[in-house]
Amino acid sequence: MAQVEYEGKTFEVDEDGFLLKFEDWAPEWVDYVKESEGIKEISEEHQKVLDFLQDYYKKNGIAPMVRILSKITGYKLKHIYELFPSGPGKGACKMAGLPKPTGCV
Amino acid sequence: MAFVSSGYNPDKPMENRNSDIGPRKFDEFLPPVIKKNFGAWKYHEILEPGILVHVAESGDEVYSVRCGTARLMSVVHIKEMCDIADKHCDGYLRFTTRNNVEFMVDSKDKVDALKADLLSRKFNGGSYKFPIGGTGAGVSNIVHTQGWVHCHTPATDASGTVKVIMDELFDEFTGHNMPAPVRIAVACCLNMCGACHCSDIAVVGIHRKPPLIDHEHLDNLCEIPLAVAACPTGAVRPSKVEVDGTTYKTVAIKEERCMFCGNCYTMCPSLPLSDSEGDGIALMVGGKISNRISQPKFSKVVVAYIPNEPPRWPTLTKTIRTIVDVYSKEANKYERLGDWAERIGWERFFEKTGIKFTKHLIDDFRDPAYYTWRQSTQFKF
Repeated sequence: MAQVEYEGKTFEVDEDGFLLKFEDWAPEWVDYVKESEGIKEISEEHQKVLDFLQDYYKKNGIAPMVRILSKITGYKLKHIYELFPSGPGKGACKMAGLPKPTGCV
Repeated sequence: MAFVSSGYNPDKPMENRNSDIGPRKFDEFLPPVIKKNFGAWKYHEILEPGILVHVAESGDEVYSVRCGTARLMSVVHIKEMCDIADKHCDGYLRFTTRNNVEFMVDSKDKVDALKADLLSRKFNGGSYKFPIGGTGAGVSNIVHTQGWVHCHTPATDASGTVKVIMDELFDEFTGHNMPAPVRIAVACCLNMCGACHCSDIAVVGIHRKPPLIDHEHLDNLCEIPLAVAACPTGAVRPSKVEVDGTTYKTVAIKEERCMFCGNCYTMCPSLPLSDSEGDGIALMVGGKISNRISQPKFSKVVVAYIPNEPPRWPTLTKTIRTIVDVYSKEANKYERLGDWAERIGWERFFEKTGIKFTKHLIDDFRDPAYYTWRQSTQFKF
């Protein structure tokens, strides 16, 4: 698998650019990915979504359903797409270091 | 080839972005005679296999010539269709819900030239490019899936099996020799994308071995609760495993509870289960989706396992040939395969087709299984 080096850190990623290990996540990862996800600057709102995804994943072992993400953060799906143009799965989960979404997607 | 930009600017991905425009409206592409008589058709006739005429209240006529396609096709092939449409049909054509292609002309004298042109076109290997048929009480195209061409969960191939079945049943495609239409569908795993659960004959890829577990990577690549919840028989549970001194969070699979559906692999890439010897095909029959006379039916498993035999799958084609032959000989007019089997009784279906009845065919999935057993003394010896 491919390795990414960014600001002194090394990340192991798959062909879609998802982290292979959640533990490898570091703040530099967000900085590295944001450009390819069409994000200029990480705002407080971005951070709130990322923090919630990570908390939920640590606690439950899965990514939250979109409705739960919306309900807890208070952001409607439309706003989540404004924050993360590729959407909550490909965009936000990738930046948060969660495993790649699976199933019939 | 060197990079050629379409005008998209990766530095400003949201600039000039066009979205949510939906498909083009269907009536932009209607042939003039169809547009004119939209919603005003009086009757139709099947002139010969593959050729229909629709007559409108205004007296206008549309002749449709239906041709088989392989569904999976190149741009070169689509361009050839466009050339035919340009030459005979003023540039119009359509695809059916079984992935046949229909060329439409507005008068009878144009049909013969179109037909001759279509039948003259063959691939270098000798196959017809545009075989005419697929109407009435015959076997139309096979609704099928990705198989080994593109998917990661298949237990068999789709394009390959479809080609060999249609080769075997080609006379049924170009003729009207059946009591009623026979719909065939192929799905390469139990996800059953397409129409397998409601087709007269259905080919479904199955596994016969439980998944392998990649303990070292499972926790990193999978959301464990999703893999646990993916199992219809509750065979998957979270567990911990020690490999080379390191403890990994992973899952354990109770093999005697696993029926090899592969759902957990769909959710978790660390649970692969495909196996060249174990994988094969289950054959189902008797489904239908129309409301004609009897209500819609699910298809039922009649052959639990046929091995994968690429590239020609001889056992599969022979079994399907037998079922089709017996059905066409025995069934009454208008009787779909499922109607026939239910009328004569399934014990007679197995007797007449010579298919061996095995324990695998007896339903054992949860409470509803009970309703598939026979609570009656009505039975033929």
